[in-house]
Amino acid sequence: MSRFVVFLTLIALLPTLSFSFSPENPTDRRILVLLDDISLKSSHSLFFKSLQSRGFELEFKLADDPKISLQRYGQYLYDGLILFSPTIERFGGSVDLAAILDFVDSGHDLIMSADVSASDLIREIATECGVEFDEDPAAMVIDHTSFAVSDTEGDHTLIVSDDFIKSDVILGKEKIEAPVLFRGIGHSTNPANSLVLKALSASPAAYSANPKSKLSNPPSLTGSAISLVSVVQARNNARVLISGSLSMFSNRLFRSGVQKAGSSTKHEKSGNEQFLTELSRWVFHERGHLKAVNVSHHNVGEADEPSMYRIKDDLEYSVEIYEWSGTSWEPYIAEDVQVQFYMMSPYVLKTLSTNQKGLYYTAFKVPDVYGVFQFKVEYQRLGYTSLSLSKQIPVRPFRHNEYERFITAAFPYYGSSFTMMAGFFIFSIVYLYNK
Amino acid sequence: MARSTTKDAQALFHSLRSAYSATPTNLKIIDLYVIFAVLTAIIQVGYMAIVGSFPFNSFLSGVLSCVGTAVLAVCLRIQVNKENKEFKDLPPERAFADFVLCNLVLHLVIINFMG
Repeated sequence: MSRFVVFLTLIALLPTLSFSFSPENPTDRRILVLLDDISLKSSHSLFFKSLQSRGFELEFKLADDPKISLQRYGQYLYDGLILFSPTIERFGGSVDLAAILDFVDSGHDLIMSADVSASDLIREIATECGVEFDEDPAAMVIDHTSFAVSDTEGDHTLIVSDDFIKSDVILGKEKIEAPVLFRGIGHSTNPANSLVLKALSASPAAYSANPKSKLSNPPSLTGSAISLVSVVQARNNARVLISGSLSMFSNRLFRSGVQKAGSSTKHEKSGNEQFLTELSRWVFHERGHLKAVNVSHHNVGEADEPSMYRIKDDLEYSVEIYEWSGTSWEPYIAEDVQVQFYMMSPYVLKTLSTNQKGLYYTAFKVPDVYGVFQFKVEYQRLGYTSLSLSKQIPVRPFRHNEYERFITAAFPYYGSSFTMMAGFFIFSIVYLYNK
Repeated sequence: MARSTTKDAQALFHSLRSAYSATPTNLKIIDLYVIFAVLTAIIQVGYMAIVGSFPFNSFLSGVLSCVGTAVLAVCLRIQVNKENKEFKDLPPERAFADFVLCNLVLHLVIINFMG
């Protein structure tokens, strides 16, 4: 009887398995959305609806709800996290800074937004991800040349920007025609950090300061170094989106028209919806997610993989690379995937040719050095997951009977030794039969 | 002055030739054999100097065959020479048999080392 009950529960759990993130189906499915104000659910409904229409299950919770938790019994309950709670000082339940960082470290994605008067906790999460918000809690990004023209005389904190990152993978193939409206705080990224990218930068005339008080000393964050929206792709391929404005995601700014100060073109609809929807596609792995399978290598003319190569062998190497399109694996097509035959330094570096169906292959000769080599493919491109493949193979020197047999350069020596033998023979005959 | 040195050299050369022609024929045959071996060795060293020592073991093997042959022939000459008091009691057949055996071993080693 008890066995039957266990069996039933196991069957009941099966549907949940198909909805979770897995390497075969890398798009996230279950997203936890933490809000600090329940009205955000309706004021940002366009953004949430765009996510839900793509198949994501959103679970809305207040950020200080005492029952929220990211994992239970060691298993993560969600594949992605959206933090729309810029003023939260302490999360409820078992969520805290360490739990969120562990969540990202285990490969899950995060969209977080700060805003004016962001709490220390939000700033700390951002700092751990590689992004530094302005230290002044009341500072906002102000731009007196690139603000949104409106009917009332504003303090130029609602700014307009079209300085997008140049990447079709991250922002989609369609050009974003209208600029993006932004009202919030700015942050800076470390230029030495290659994992953090500025998705939307401020114009060169922007600066970060408190709009209500006079400036006493020059602002620390100025110009294009201010990033309004940044994305981070971690080494474990988890993706994080950090934005300085929560109102950027709101229905009001999605629907509003935009006219940049100083330009006469008035766009009917701002670029916010397209920009953020495309970014969310990238962050939740619907684009730019690569997998490499079927690494194989063999001698030319043979089909199976040997356990060891000999120096000066001819070998062929092939790998298949696919890109996730959101629903299925499509062949990835590029001209710059390279393989190295590596032992402390690459002895052979070849660019792989492709058959346009995802198969990358090349052939080369094993170098004249023996030792333990690795076939290494290190592929890191802007916006794509990084591929780091490595397969070890030993290379042995010639066996005793594999050397060249009759070396042309040595024929005089062969000739001389045989001449000596003949000479010995003739000499002994002459010597013995000499009278 | 120069004339007297050339005349001395000529006189020396003539005396050496006449002394040499007094040696028995079998020793002259051995001497010819030695010269042949040394010439072959010199040719090989010259070849190596031009082309480089790529199959070094083959080069060594070729030179050693010539040098070894020359050495064994010289040993035979010493043992067979009747004017040599040290080997008075050694029968020349015994000396020749030793020569043949040593040559066999030498050529075996040469062929093995030639690669």
